[in-house]
Amino acid sequence: MAAPDILRFEDVVAGYGKQTILHGLSFNVLRGAITTIIGPNGAGKSTAFKASFGMLPVRAGRIFFDDREITNRAPRELIAEGICYVPQGRNIFSELSVLHNLELGGAAAPEGFHLKPRLQAVMERFPVLRRKAKHQASTLSGGEQKMLEIARGLMLEPRLMLIDEPSIGLSPILVEELFDLLRELRERGITVLMIEQNAKRALENSDHGIVLELGRARIQDHAATILADPRVGQLFLGGTSSISGRA
Amino acid sequence: MADLLQLLVAGLATGGIYALVAIGFTLLWQTSQTINFAQGEFVMLPAFFVLIGMGYFGLSFWPAVALGGALSVVLLGLVFKKLMVEPMIRHGVLPLVIATIGLAILMKEAVRQFYGADAWPFPVLAATTDVTVFGAVFAVQSLVILAICVAVVVALQLFLGGTRTGRCMQATAQNPTVARLLGIRVERMILYTFLINGALVTVASILITPIYLAKFTNGEWLGLYAFIAAIIGGFNQVRGAIAGGLLLGVVDNFAAVYLSSQYRTAIPLLILIVVVLFRPQGLLGRIEERTV
Repeated sequence: MAAPDILRFEDVVAGYGKQTILHGLSFNVLRGAITTIIGPNGAGKSTAFKASFGMLPVRAGRIFFDDREITNRAPRELIAEGICYVPQGRNIFSELSVLHNLELGGAAAPEGFHLKPRLQAVMERFPVLRRKAKHQASTLSGGEQKMLEIARGLMLEPRLMLIDEPSIGLSPILVEELFDLLRELRERGITVLMIEQNAKRALENSDHGIVLELGRARIQDHAATILADPRVGQLFLGGTSSISGRA
Repeated sequence: MADLLQLLVAGLATGGIYALVAIGFTLLWQTSQTINFAQGEFVMLPAFFVLIGMGYFGLSFWPAVALGGALSVVLLGLVFKKLMVEPMIRHGVLPLVIATIGLAILMKEAVRQFYGADAWPFPVLAATTDVTVFGAVFAVQSLVILAICVAVVVALQLFLGGTRTGRCMQATAQNPTVARLLGIRVERMILYTFLINGALVTVASILITPIYLAKFTNGEWLGLYAFIAAIIGGFNQVRGAIAGGLLLGVVDNFAAVYLSSQYRTAIPLLILIVVVLFRPQGLLGRIEERTV
């Protein structure tokens, strides 16, 4: 029987140079759910992702994935464990073809892993990527590029996807599509941990929420409870519908 | 007309050599932000390794080339990266640039101390005869050089575009952070580019030294030409380096004949100035957006 939490932060301290961003961050991410981390700028949301994915040294505390300690391990090993990380912004290799971008999602594939069938399966799910497989990735639209990044992350069949600000720069329709996709991943058993600026919208599409403030987790609860929490509403959701109304 | 064709082929041959050196230059820049101002000396040195192999160890030409080539790839690739690039790049691009300028002086003076300031003859790869094709006379040497350059460039392109390792190298060059996030062995890919650069300068050295003789100062203008070729072609593009190198070789040859051999060396610099003024990203380059 696997533990209910797939990812666990225990008093994690991390930062850049002399500046400490995470001041003993602790939280759990429940298996098979969509969890959104919200919080003001500088709260340490992206820093937490980087720390968990070996992109930033953890100075103190520990991080567990599936009850195995993964503190300060390299991305390559974490991918092998079953984590993938889709960072903020545009992260495709614009001068390579769409197909080769996808293939690089399997760069850390273990010996004997068959990439070809996996490529086919991923393109099955994303017909637009199949159609444009030979095109240079830079020719994709913004939404398609984000899909390519997510598809690339799925190449090695991760169990946990860390996704940072996926909706930035996408039209409302594409944002809808994106959340549909994340829900679909959840149905397929992939745990999703997401950071979103569009906090209200993201929480509405999540099972759980974590509110970060000054490098610590203030609240961890069901997404609906956090949405209804007046403190959170005032602090991060704009109090009214003003934020959700923004495209 | 026949003269023109002849000049063109001769220009493309030397241009091909510049292109090889310029490609190495851009590869190092793309994958590791290394600007190697010792690149010219990197081309100067392997020829001396070959001469040492032949003169001191009594090897015949090809074994000496093999040995000198291997030594060059190790020294100019692996050792250069480990002992100079890795310690210096941590302090930024500029300290590394200055360090490579120092390295250039060191290599130049070391060769002079060890081998003297004379220009040494170097074995040619092909007979110094001419062939006549459709009424035009071509130096066999030029054709051989051009063929080798084309073969090397094609092989490199096939490797970079047609193999998974090559594409991992391209990914590393385009976006090292994302490459790392995908579990690409970024450090290893960077090392590969240094080794490839070592191989490119070795080939260039073997091709160009028979023409200009082995001299400790060869690196001065070779490095400058490669740098100019890379800049006018587009510093961040392999195909830019190829175009820049070929253009430079052809213009240089034509200028020597039709303008004046005295002003010849000024022409590449003029082209450089014009390109930098009107198309700073280079003829085939793209404008770089770097996030800090």
